[in-house]
Amino acid sequence: MPELNLAQSINQALHQAMKTDDRIVILGEDVGVNGGVFRITDGLQKAFGAERVIDTPLAELGIVGVSVGMAAYGLKPICEIQFDGFLPSVMDQVINHFGRLRQRSQGKHAAGLILRSPHGGMVHAPEHHSESPEAYFAHTPGIKVVIPSTPKDAKGLMLAAIQCPDPVVFFEPKRIYRSIKENVPDESYEVAIGKARVAREGKDATVISWGALVHTCLEAAQKLQGEGVDVEVIDLRTLSPIDIGAILTSVSKTGHAVIAQEAPKTCSLASEISALIHERALLKLQAPVRRVTGWDTRTPLFRLEKYYFPDAARIAAAVRETMSF
Amino acid sequence: MPLTKIADFKIERLEILGADGRCDEALVPVISKEKMLEIYRMLVLIRVFDEKAFKLQRQGRLGTYPQILGQEATQIVPPMCLEKKDWLIPTYRGQGSYFARGMPLVNSLLYWGGDDRGAKLPDGQNDMIFAIPVGSHLTHAVGVAMAAQYRKDSAVALTYLGDGASSKGDFYEAMNFAGVYKAPVIFFVENNQWAISVSRKTQTSAQTIAQKAIGCGLSGIQVDGNDVFAVYRAVQEAIARARRGDGASVIEAETYRLGDHTTADDSSRYRSKEEIDLWKDRDPIARFRVFLTAQNVLTEDADLEVRRAAEEKVRSAIDEYESVPEPNPLSMFELIYGEPTWNILEQRAEFERYWASGSSRRETLASAGEGRFP
Repeated sequence: MPELNLAQSINQALHQAMKTDDRIVILGEDVGVNGGVFRITDGLQKAFGAERVIDTPLAELGIVGVSVGMAAYGLKPICEIQFDGFLPSVMDQVINHFGRLRQRSQGKHAAGLILRSPHGGMVHAPEHHSESPEAYFAHTPGIKVVIPSTPKDAKGLMLAAIQCPDPVVFFEPKRIYRSIKENVPDESYEVAIGKARVAREGKDATVISWGALVHTCLEAAQKLQGEGVDVEVIDLRTLSPIDIGAILTSVSKTGHAVIAQEAPKTCSLASEISALIHERALLKLQAPVRRVTGWDTRTPLFRLEKYYFPDAARIAAAVRETMSF
Repeated sequence: MPLTKIADFKIERLEILGADGRCDEALVPVISKEKMLEIYRMLVLIRVFDEKAFKLQRQGRLGTYPQILGQEATQIVPPMCLEKKDWLIPTYRGQGSYFARGMPLVNSLLYWGGDDRGAKLPDGQNDMIFAIPVGSHLTHAVGVAMAAQYRKDSAVALTYLGDGASSKGDFYEAMNFAGVYKAPVIFFVENNQWAISVSRKTQTSAQTIAQKAIGCGLSGIQVDGNDVFAVYRAVQEAIARARRGDGASVIEAETYRLGDHTTADDSSRYRSKEEIDLWKDRDPIARFRVFLTAQNVLTEDADLEVRRAAEEKVRSAIDEYESVPEPNPLSMFELIYGEPTWNILEQRAEFERYWASGSSRRETLASAGEGRFP
């Protein structure tokens, strides 16, 4: 069982699946010869040819629209949008087409494609390259949204997404593409879409997060351990549908919930999770749910990004506040 | 019923100054000696800037930076054809274009150094800040041009795009609006042959990008983009056409991105050294220098002085960049709305409390490493 980083584990999942599943085609900007700007599709064009790993023109909306047509024909397109900041231009296809195609066609067609995109900030990237747009997708019916935070989950979620009959938006936390390594099984396996993971067990407070920020939450939990606060960290893994069972089990145990995300606060996924907890577990709560988020501002250029994205200190402070409510 | 030809189109290519510095006298635009020297000084300045900015990035003193190297003529000549009242709507690989319009050099360093203050245009300048999402600014240029029409101003809008952006729907929509409303706009296509790893040939099966103009009823021409005179002449004609109310133009300027896409790219993965060498021989500055020298507009001493002055300007911009204090984090909460809303005010206060409680956490830009872009 080799040690892989997140980029390598996704690459391995794609490689293995393409060997046995000829429905899969990969398309996107620079995914072929260059292997993707983050090298996620590295070597795939060499292995499977330019007919299956397609370097497209520079046209995000086109990439996604073409993928919808391919999926209607019965293929399994895995398209890449190079950066999170370029996703807004594909929303016409996302909202008006791929999430609706099954019901609109009365079940005849479904857009069972996978849309991959890097996610999040803190990599000193240029403007529009540090965005967290998951709420736009999770808000849209008919789409599943996943985001792994470990190499093992990345491979398993990708293989599950390939088997999923629905469109799956697959976010990849770019901050930890290469910084986290773990043993990843060689064989094919799935991590179920819709199932969260307890990243750390604890009894005093629940911190819910996803993507790269899970690791920041674990850091905060470590810090709080020294103060005698035992934090449970839930890695959501799937953002739509949310694993409400896992959240309620944890919150019922701890009575304190903090949600941490990189995205802005208003109308975000954290807002939805907070509403779910208040609706279903109000009497288990010993304090109101707290949200630790990016501010309701534009993501600043990278000199200030450390002040924009939640860090371990801000997450720990929110946990302390709920504990002393 | 016979099959009849109902329309006929042709696409012309303009070349005036050859790679050997010799030129077609009949086509040379009328440019004063002083203006020629002004152009030359800008060409040299942007090259020196680009060289130094690249080095700063490699030393960890600047963030990801998109090199201009090889595209100096397409960058600085079109904006130098504009008047002050006109508008420039540039792209992210546009340092030369906005420097030529008066943006201080330090701004670009600040911006690519991750400081939002770099995006501030000088007061009194009409231009828009460049867009990062490719092609998304092209319709803005048409809107600017339509607004000028509405106000009965004679201002025109000049916007840039690359060969990659010519594939975006935005380009078609922008051209079509411009055609329908005869908007005074110039789409200047800087065809540098590569959209990251995708070559011009892979980008579109159209023979030229210029011909895309025809589908929307616009004028289209291809020019040698490394030829100062061809670019100057084509842009001047397009501006005159726009000001006359005769509509928009597409100018496809063929040039070459000698550097990587950005400092985060490695173009040796997808293109050959031979191809790069071929384009190095078509250098836009070298051939203009040969011409100016042959015409006795530029002496060897004057040339050395141009280079020295450019280096001095760039050095002083770098000094300024590196002495600017870190941006104030509270600036994140400014300018989101005309008047801040309650949530912005509340979050700003929350941040202030948090910031006051901890260390200031100021740090200088560290060298590129794990977790960095990309």
